[in-house]
Amino acid sequence: MISKLVKELPDLVTNDVISQEIASKIEQYYLSKQENTPNRLFAVFGVLGSLLVGLGIILILAHNWDNFARTTKTIFAFLPLVIGQCFVGFSILKKKSVAWKEASGTFLFFAIGSSIALVSQIYNIPGNLSTYVLTWIVLSLPLIYLLKSNAVAILNVIFITYYAVEVGYSYYTINETPWLYLALMALVVPHYYRLLKYHKVANITSIFNWLIPISFTIVLGTFVNDLSELGFLMYLLLFSLFYNIGKIPFFDDQKLRRNGFLIFGSLGIVIMVLTMSFDGFWDMERFFLNAQETYISTFLFIANLGILAYSYSKKWLKLFNLFQYLFILFSALYILGLNIPVVGTITVNLIVLALGITTIKIGADKFHFGVLNYGLLIITALVTCRFFDTNMSFVIRGLLFVFVGLGFFLTNYIMFKKQKLKVKSLKN
Amino acid sequence: MKRTHIFILFIILAVAQIAIPAQMIFNRESILESGTAYKFKTEPVDPSDPFKGKYIFLNYEVDRVKAEDKNWVRNQEVYISIANDNLGFVRATSASLEVPKTGDFVKAKVDWYATDERTLQFSFQFNEFYMEESKAYNAEVAHRKAQRDSLPNNTYALIYVRDGEAVLNNVFINEIPIATFVEE
Repeated sequence: MISKLVKELPDLVTNDVISQEIASKIEQYYLSKQENTPNRLFAVFGVLGSLLVGLGIILILAHNWDNFARTTKTIFAFLPLVIGQCFVGFSILKKKSVAWKEASGTFLFFAIGSSIALVSQIYNIPGNLSTYVLTWIVLSLPLIYLLKSNAVAILNVIFITYYAVEVGYSYYTINETPWLYLALMALVVPHYYRLLKYHKVANITSIFNWLIPISFTIVLGTFVNDLSELGFLMYLLLFSLFYNIGKIPFFDDQKLRRNGFLIFGSLGIVIMVLTMSFDGFWDMERFFLNAQETYISTFLFIANLGILAYSYSKKWLKLFNLFQYLFILFSALYILGLNIPVVGTITVNLIVLALGITTIKIGADKFHFGVLNYGLLIITALVTCRFFDTNMSFVIRGLLFVFVGLGFFLTNYIMFKKQKLKVKSLKN
Repeated sequence: MKRTHIFILFIILAVAQIAIPAQMIFNRESILESGTAYKFKTEPVDPSDPFKGKYIFLNYEVDRVKAEDKNWVRNQEVYISIANDNLGFVRATSASLEVPKTGDFVKAKVDWYATDERTLQFSFQFNEFYMEESKAYNAEVAHRKAQRDSLPNNTYALIYVRDGEAVLNNVFINEIPIATFVEE
């Protein structure tokens, strides 16, 4: 960005837009700014390098060199660990740059994993993957705070998720719930909070804005045990929670691509609702209150409500946005509609239509072509789904498609015209 | 936080990072030193682990014992008392939920209980033997071959046992360590 502007300067000077003096001032300003920022590229490559070397060491050790004696192998188990610790200790003690801390932290992270793995290998220690990963996480998590390292934090979030998946989805532990996942994630939260507070617009923060919803989305399924009917509601509530978090002005005022919560929440809601719009979905048999799933749903519901109430008290809810209130409707529908499939199906179909229209309106208000077409896509998806499971005549189905297609053309065209008008009026 | 404080905390962490694997080693070494060695007849197959490398999975021949019906639950921890038969291989004598007071025993996990035969089916947990990656599959093949052309089952694992804990020391085919056997 900076270099692009500096490159444009001579052109601006020759065309008499700015004077030579201003041009050199701008150049000076950016040069001095560049000197002060740490070399990001160096940090990125440092982390990538350590990551590859660390993974490489794990693979090399996994070869299982059986010509070596047990003592030699044991020394090799500790060698990468000690080297990693020396690097980390050095960068703490000498107050080295961010690049140093990130790279050495990443290396030590993998060294910890490789040393436990190698010891288990030398002594044929059996054990499931989840306990192994858990030990690894516990031994490496403090590094996040000691080094203030983003790379270690990202690796930890990934491995914590992996741990939960291993416990919750694997065949051997079918009915176990990885409650520890929540505790471990809670330990990473302070780091995320610090990023949000001090580095709101940094790229690394937006990586976390995406990583955290992804992790929760993957793991929520492990909390579903007996009452799988409620699984859909749980996911809908989770996505609604993401959406509501993403709608808090702190996130909402940022660029859309940084707002993982909003995008993930919105896509999630649409996918869930579309799934529920099918005819057979609402033929559910059982529903009981005293289950883990009910408690989690209740918790998510209250969390949603809490955020809405807080937003209301802060006067953030200026425009009515159906996405934000959807969870109330669905929770009610879930409790009431379970016995009457027709009600569920019809209501959900109407809701999807309303969501599509809401999105189109948001897109039009914000002059955002992406959002506008996303709304149209929601409606298209709805029509496509109904194409397969209703007994409508072909003529009606055909007409529906034609109308939606025309909708795409018209809305985009109208908005395009409006935008042109706006640019014109700005010029005058 | 001051730099020295951070550094001190890091040293504590570093010690823990070394202590955990070291403790694993000491624990195993002490069992290898003072435990009793038993021969468990076994059958190797070849899976692999993403972090630890290739291992052969050992299916032990001893996997059931006569026991009372005690509402056994799958994956429940159970203590299996063991003794040697007249050929010098291990056999299970009894199963109990409490730590046996006499004799050697190992921890295992319940698979299921066969009510009409009144036997408890269980699996030992020391069933992963790590080998060099090129040898793991060959070990499975070698075992199958050895099975065909000689005595009944001649593959066994040497396990050191103390206070219910067990360490898998090596696997032998025809009295030759499996890694050496594969090379030949």
